Amino acid sequence: MRVTVIPGYYTLHLISRRRPTPPAPARPTIEDMITASELTKRYGGKPAKYAVSDLTFTVRPGTVTGFLGPNGAGKSTTMRMILGLDAPTRGTATVGNHAYADHPAPLHEVGALLEARSVHPGRTAHHHLVALALTHGIPRSRVDHVLDLTGLTDVAGRRVKGFSLGMGQRLGIAAALLGDPATVILDEPVNGLDPEGVLWIRNLLKSLAAEGRTVFVSSHLMSEMAVTAEHLIIIGRGRLLADTTVDTFVRESGAGTIKVVTPEAGLLTQLLAAPPVDVTSSTPGILEISGTDAEHIGRTAAAHGIPLFELTPHAASLEEAFMDLTRDSLEYAAHLEPA
Amino acid sequence: MTTLALTPARILRSEWHKLWTVRSTWIMLTAATVFTIGVGIAISASYEQDRGEVSGVDPVQFLLFGTQFSQIILAVVAVLSIAGEYGTGMVRSTMVAVPRRLPVLWSKAGVVTAVVFTATLATFLVTFTAGQLFLDGTDKELSLTDPGVLGTLVGSTAGLTSLALIGLGLGALLRSVPGGITAFIGGVTVLPEVLRMFPYDVMDSAAKYFPGRAAEGLMTLHDSSDYAATGPALLALTLWTTAILGTAGLLLKRRDV
Repeated sequence: MRVTVIPGYYTLHLISRRRPTPPAPARPTIEDMITASELTKRYGGKPAKYAVSDLTFTVRPGTVTGFLGPNGAGKSTTMRMILGLDAPTRGTATVGNHAYADHPAPLHEVGALLEARSVHPGRTAHHHLVALALTHGIPRSRVDHVLDLTGLTDVAGRRVKGFSLGMGQRLGIAAALLGDPATVILDEPVNGLDPEGVLWIRNLLKSLAAEGRTVFVSSHLMSEMAVTAEHLIIIGRGRLLADTTVDTFVRESGAGTIKVVTPEAGLLTQLLAAPPVDVTSSTPGILEISGTDAEHIGRTAAAHGIPLFELTPHAASLEEAFMDLTRDSLEYAAHLEPA
Repeated sequence: MTTLALTPARILRSEWHKLWTVRSTWIMLTAATVFTIGVGIAISASYEQDRGEVSGVDPVQFLLFGTQFSQIILAVVAVLSIAGEYGTGMVRSTMVAVPRRLPVLWSKAGVVTAVVFTATLATFLVTFTAGQLFLDGTDKELSLTDPGVLGTLVGSTAGLTSLALIGLGLGALLRSVPGGITAFIGGVTVLPEVLRMFPYDVMDSAAKYFPGRAAEGLMTLHDSSDYAATGPALLALTLWTTAILGTAGLLLKRRDV
């Protein structure tokens, strides 16, 4: 078996024509924003089913915006409406103040990764990208560049039919980056990727945002978004549940509990316990601290010479907060308790 | 660097590239060509005047007998070019790149026309020339320079190209390779024969203007009461093609991808 080495792990450089340097604080400009306004998609049948209803949000450039929701929440449908693949029953979706189809060079405006396989399996990766590039007059050198960027150069001449799920995802991402787009829309990009690939995507998304691009990425995993995104749009059953930042979500959900193990529990509690910081303890020597971060606790302890045996941010509770928020809107909930 | 933008010429190039970068295109065009030429040579080589059913057949139609089958292969190439995209999911990539959608259909129609017309005309010229080597001195002896021969070959080519375009339209309408092929075989080759079964003259006359029969009529050098005349046959084929592709375009624009 051959291992594909991904070049440029932390130094991803895209050919950036209009966004050469990262803007210090990203300045949201109307040009590159994704705007959904009362976006609604109804499917026929009895009873009629709303895949998405009255969804209003904006996605700003310069940050990674996570689009979260359980499976079946309407994430893919929303992305398809933004890209003009599905027509909204009501409402509008625009990119840079225009409907996607109205842009003269759509692939330069938005790069999209949709459901994993949007490729003819009989065509090679290289020919697939060339076919897309030809529509916009994108040079062959750019095709080679995105193949290199996604680590697919060695398999570019192979037919896609033989690709693993992860390679297919990489090809989809290569296609998304082909037009050097101002906005990147990725539907569940980490699906099927190994841990190395997940890390690669995470860094890729961050670097794209740092270049000033609008990055809109869907996931059903809160834990993944918590480390990738800065902003969150959370939906359930096609409705907006939250439009917030990751920091706010963590703070307000009380998910930022940090476990501290120290022999000086009493002293540390005295030093830290003042609003908004809350310290509780159920076992002697073990503190559950919320309302602050690990850095503050660590520095406070160090400043007073308090030894810490353990300082653990509780990530699992973030997932729990997300599940609390979306529990009522699960499409297919498993019932654990007997009826 | 040139400006990045969608243009009709670029979309056409993209569709051209797509057609030639899947194996099925090469395999089926080769199969259609080999079959037409092979059948033409085989029946010419074994032809004996005044024997068998074929002696009454029009001399050009006789040589192009292989098209009975290869017209279906050519239509399948066209069906695959669009319905294959729905089957594989490629259509999402295509329609994200060209969100106005219609230029994709027109480009596919352009590419199918160019490829099928060129390949078929070349095949027919080879079939005719090779077949005639065996037909010296028979009642089916013809020369390319005989009046009407070249015109009939070009007309036959146009007929097969129309059928392929109808295949493209059916593939776009049904978004399924098996559906498109079934509709083509059923609608183009079976339905007119079914109509002729009825003992009513009007249905027999109508059947002459169905795509398959009209295209078959274009292959005859001499006018026959079995087929519509060249002009009306070409008109009928044009109308069928326009109507089916037009409906496909309308629905492509309206339906979700």
